[in-house]
Amino acid sequence: MEKIKEILNKFEMEYVEDYKPTWVKAKLKNKEDLLEVVKALKEAGIASCSTVSPTDYPEEDRMEINYFLEDIINKKNVWLKVDIERALDKCEIDSITPELPSADYHELESYSTFGVKFKGHPNLRYFLISADYYGKFPFRKDFDWEEHEKQLIENVNAISEEFFEEYEENEETMGHEGSRTVLHWGPTHPASGPIRLKVYVNGENIEKVEPDIGYVWRALEKLAERKDFIGTIVAVERICFMDNTNPMICYAQAVEEIAGKEITPFAKYMRVILGELGRTVSHLISLGGFFGTMGLQTFLMWCLDVREYFLDVLEDYSGARIATACIEPGGVRYPLNDYKAWFGELNKAIEKWESVKSDIEDIFLKNPLMTVRAKETGIFNEEDVIENYLAGPIARASNVKVDVRKDEPYAAYGELEMDYVTCDSGDTRDRLYIIYKEINQSIDLIQQAMKKIEEGIEAGEMDPKKDHMIKMPRRMPEGEAVSRVEWARGEMLMHLVTMPKSTNPYRLKLKAPSVNHTRMLEKLLPNHTLSDIPLLYGSMHICQGDLDR
Amino acid sequence: MLKVLDFFNYARSKSPWIVHFCSGCCSLEMLAAMGPRYDWERYGYIMTPTPRQADIIFITGLVSKKILPALLRTYEQMPEPRYVVAIGACAYDGGPYNDSPSVIKNMTEILPADVFVAGCPPKPEAIVAGLEELKEKIKRGEPSASSQGGLWKQMKF
Repeated sequence: MEKIKEILNKFEMEYVEDYKPTWVKAKLKNKEDLLEVVKALKEAGIASCSTVSPTDYPEEDRMEINYFLEDIINKKNVWLKVDIERALDKCEIDSITPELPSADYHELESYSTFGVKFKGHPNLRYFLISADYYGKFPFRKDFDWEEHEKQLIENVNAISEEFFEEYEENEETMGHEGSRTVLHWGPTHPASGPIRLKVYVNGENIEKVEPDIGYVWRALEKLAERKDFIGTIVAVERICFMDNTNPMICYAQAVEEIAGKEITPFAKYMRVILGELGRTVSHLISLGGFFGTMGLQTFLMWCLDVREYFLDVLEDYSGARIATACIEPGGVRYPLNDYKAWFGELNKAIEKWESVKSDIEDIFLKNPLMTVRAKETGIFNEEDVIENYLAGPIARASNVKVDVRKDEPYAAYGELEMDYVTCDSGDTRDRLYIIYKEINQSIDLIQQAMKKIEEGIEAGEMDPKKDHMIKMPRRMPEGEAVSRVEWARGEMLMHLVTMPKSTNPYRLKLKAPSVNHTRMLEKLLPNHTLSDIPLLYGSMHICQGDLDR
Repeated sequence: MLKVLDFFNYARSKSPWIVHFCSGCCSLEMLAAMGPRYDWERYGYIMTPTPRQADIIFITGLVSKKILPALLRTYEQMPEPRYVVAIGACAYDGGPYNDSPSVIKNMTEILPADVFVAGCPPKPEAIVAGLEELKEKIKRGEPSASSQGGLWKQMKF
């Protein structure tokens, strides 16, 4: 950490300070220095950009840009801030994409929503937002979208027009001769979900892929600003319903950090159990959905069957199967009035998993379809992972040891025994096999946490009827916090900014891993054939919910 | 002649095919309804990837502005008679995204639905119950709500 501070201090900084054990927080004085700083940091090993998050301050006439840069191997991270002017014609800064390619889509997103021009970006264009918002920058504080909403039909027509124009352009440039054409994979493809991949093909060989995203863009970051701190949970948990609990943990941690509160040990263990349940449920869909698209419908049904048992546990606790809203700032929402009954339900789900486990493992090891189609295709090595910041299971499948639960323990993960789960080859099969391994790890963690809670209750240290929540202030002090959790699909980062005595977030940046994974498709798919798209796409575990937010 | 048409409606109601289109998070509960515990194939429902052979389209929860043209285009490709089932609070008034700038809040005005299933997201049992209600409507030979009107006719897609 000292070395990083030394590097940062060579430049003109307003401050350089420690923030959490693995972070250094710094603010740059001149925006002209940014590229040099990033270059120097890259040489020191900080070669991945987690996200880029602008915060708009209209009263002070400035836009503050936060860069979250990470060294995922040595677990050293830098939170770099820099101020730029707010006026649209002067709102520009050097792009760091040429240095850190993982910043690419995040910069495009900042440009589309805040109007920050990134000089030197290889292909600066509107991204994520729909055509009716082009040039209007909807996340700025002074954007009046209620006025914008009044012309609904015109707005929808503008979106269609854009598509027709694109279609005509393709017709002209591609022509009708030869075997080159553009195919649209999605948004109605059964395997795709709401995303569109523009696939440039020659015959059936893929030459180029351009993802077109934004089909489920709900502007959650803007929505959070309009709700109070408890209401924001509704927005946050809807990032993706597959793994619904972990985003709430991430958000709750950020709020607790600003309020300066520490939750009870019981709530911490409950967060571990609920978080791991969310991960298991999500992984079971990832596994099953993948095989469903490959043609093994039976396997999909097995996974869905097991999933129901885990959903029963969540329903028993929160009353809802997938929209649980069961974690809020200050702890977990509900007490455990009869903890033995709930643990019984949990054990039933675990037993169900244990009973089908061996069948599922056999698929990976013995199924010929799996071996022929998925083995040794789409390999990522460690360099790919660092350069493009692939997170979570995808990084671990390539034998890169990253896991926020272990790198920066939150909730009660620091007190439980766990290790990095990895696979060696980084091919498509391993990206699925790792998911199977992670479910086993989650089950192990749940069992450990259950044991700790039982011990705590017997020793009289925990009271499951009262300890679930601590009192949180209704109004938050001014502050800023960064919180990270290991989500089912990788690192999730939230950057929360509050104003003095505020009742709602001033800015909440949500970073989810699918953005980088979608960007990776541009490199992964070319040189494969069309029939490989569902396979490779499925192996990236992309969820459009967290891709678009 | 009337009896023959009645028979068609009866036959149609026994195996409605549903086009595979997912625009929001409620599709996860549709997946669960498809799965082994709820198993809607018992009632004759089946998913089809192409709109050309489908009878029903689902509005699965939220519809963002960008996916609306794709949804309407899929709907238009379906053969008559075609029915719309809206599931989830978002399909009615934007639900939890009611404050969001990019989500359509009056989806059922744009594409009127024959059945609305409430919930966020609705449980699989509720989805199957809603479809059963639609079956009765098909059996009676009533025209679908979306063929009667709706803002979708004014839109380009």
